[in-house]
Amino acid sequence: MIPVFLGVAILTFMIGNAAGNPINLIRLGLRNPNPAVLDALRHYYHLDVPVYERFVFWLWDLLHGNLGVSISGRPVGSQIWSWAWTTMELQITSLILAIAIGIPIGVYSAKHQYSKADYVITSTAIFGFSMPTFWLGIILIIIFSYDLGWLPSSGASGISFAWWGNPFLDQIAHLILPVAVLTYVGLATIVRLVRANMLDVLRQDYILAARASGLSDRAVTYRYALRNAISPIITIIGLGFGASLAGAPATETTFSWPGLGYAFTQAASNLDIPLVQGITIVITIMVLVANLMTDIVYASLDPRVRID
Amino acid sequence: MNRLGVRGASQWSVAWRRFRRNKSGIIGGAIVLFFITIAIIGPSIAPYPPRSYAPLYQGDAGQPPSLKHPFGVEESGIDVYSEVLDGARNDLYVGLAASLLTTLIGVAIGALAGYFEGAVSEVLLGLTQIFFVFPALLLILLFARVFSVLVFKGLGLTLIVLILSFFGWSGVSLIIRGETLRVKEMEFVQAARSLGAGSMRILFRHIVPNILSPVIVIATLGIAGFILTEVAVSFLGFGDANTPTWGLLLNEGFPFIRTDWWVSLFPGLAVVVCVLGFNLMGDGLSDALNPRLRE
Repeated sequence: MIPVFLGVAILTFMIGNAAGNPINLIRLGLRNPNPAVLDALRHYYHLDVPVYERFVFWLWDLLHGNLGVSISGRPVGSQIWSWAWTTMELQITSLILAIAIGIPIGVYSAKHQYSKADYVITSTAIFGFSMPTFWLGIILIIIFSYDLGWLPSSGASGISFAWWGNPFLDQIAHLILPVAVLTYVGLATIVRLVRANMLDVLRQDYILAARASGLSDRAVTYRYALRNAISPIITIIGLGFGASLAGAPATETTFSWPGLGYAFTQAASNLDIPLVQGITIVITIMVLVANLMTDIVYASLDPRVRID
Repeated sequence: MNRLGVRGASQWSVAWRRFRRNKSGIIGGAIVLFFITIAIIGPSIAPYPPRSYAPLYQGDAGQPPSLKHPFGVEESGIDVYSEVLDGARNDLYVGLAASLLTTLIGVAIGALAGYFEGAVSEVLLGLTQIFFVFPALLLILLFARVFSVLVFKGLGLTLIVLILSFFGWSGVSLIIRGETLRVKEMEFVQAARSLGAGSMRILFRHIVPNILSPVIVIATLGIAGFILTEVAVSFLGFGDANTPTWGLLLNEGFPFIRTDWWVSLFPGLAVVVCVLGFNLMGDGLSDALNPRLRE
């Protein structure tokens, strides 16, 4: 994990350097730049030392939680935490809902393979799997916000006007559409995986043995089959959660959701390199932590796997 | 050939027979064929040339769907139907090219990392893991912005293909590495080795052909995935603004969703149906090529 982290840090740093010199970008905004000010900025961004020394400065700052200052002049770190929180709010709610709904549906679908319900479930799932998430968001906004006027179309909370009359309900109202979209898409993946794995497991001899020993259908399905079918799914969910921390930039943009993805899109658009580097490295660290946690959960669920 | 001179069914004809019986796989294949046809003939049956503002001068800007403009017209005067037809060619190009490139890179790196032991494999696996944990979509956005502004103007969609491939191969590589690890201990590999075959010959003449089934499935599903990524990239305004793609149309329609729903609806439907086709076909191929399910 440490070598991977170092590799990621080096690459992130190189990306920042390849993307251009922040001084030139700042200079674009100044009419008569004072050479002394430019020199001071050059020194501030460590542009007056060789690139490898600059990397050491950057890594040192990073390890001390200092992510530098964006070209807008605000510190990167504090901005990122507020975006990360907004993104997590959205992603964790959707993930929990997708797991809670997806696993029972997937199990049902596998147990009734080739039934009508199974066809409905699998086709609904593959539609969710084939859809641009943000496009579903656009369609829901057109229907529920503009035509029916039931729900807000953008933001994480109302500014001048609180939906449903109180600040807490207002936040819930803003969550509903983006959570619905992300849950549907996440659900599609989980249902497909649970179904496929359950079909594999239900064919095994030990399921037959469990049934033959007179256990109830419920016990066979949930305690014997699902427990074995679920371990590979944990890995996929963990990896998917890591990826979702990037905040699904298109979905966040559609709902003007002030999260990491939306912020990154803006930063990349403005070529705000310190911000871009900061968001990239923070997301990568969170992904690495999520992967580690996935391994731990995996090992605790599956006694055949042990972490040395 | 057996003694009677009758050729046994080859692996591929068995797979084709199994695929043919899979209804959803066939539907997927038909959708894919339909979109390939549109990609070939689309630009010649489109009523307006790409990026044409002609309807604006005919006074049709912002018109809802009608007989003259089946999918309506953008506020800027672009005919949505023509652009959706042109988009098929461009989106399929991105999907096919990026999937082909990532499959080539992924198979090469994954097979080498799985076959060799020691330093080579460690380095290749480390590299794959770094690219795997990177937030790929974000870096695709950044690179698209940096390169299109500063370095390669005028590469158009090919630039997007290269960037998507550069960040998209790690998943393929990890799967191929796993498959290689599984296959390289099998008897036919030992047999080839005992006959004195070299590493590269064993790897690319014996192992890789035997893991072609997952490769084909990954490549098919990859086309679907890359089309979706391209749509997201263009929707966010990081694509090529001079080439009509479905994502670009969604990008142009987004500021007007309150009034001009047709600019968002029809390109989105094209994406859903096209991607659905590749996904259904990929699932069908996966069932047909999976030896565990063979009767």
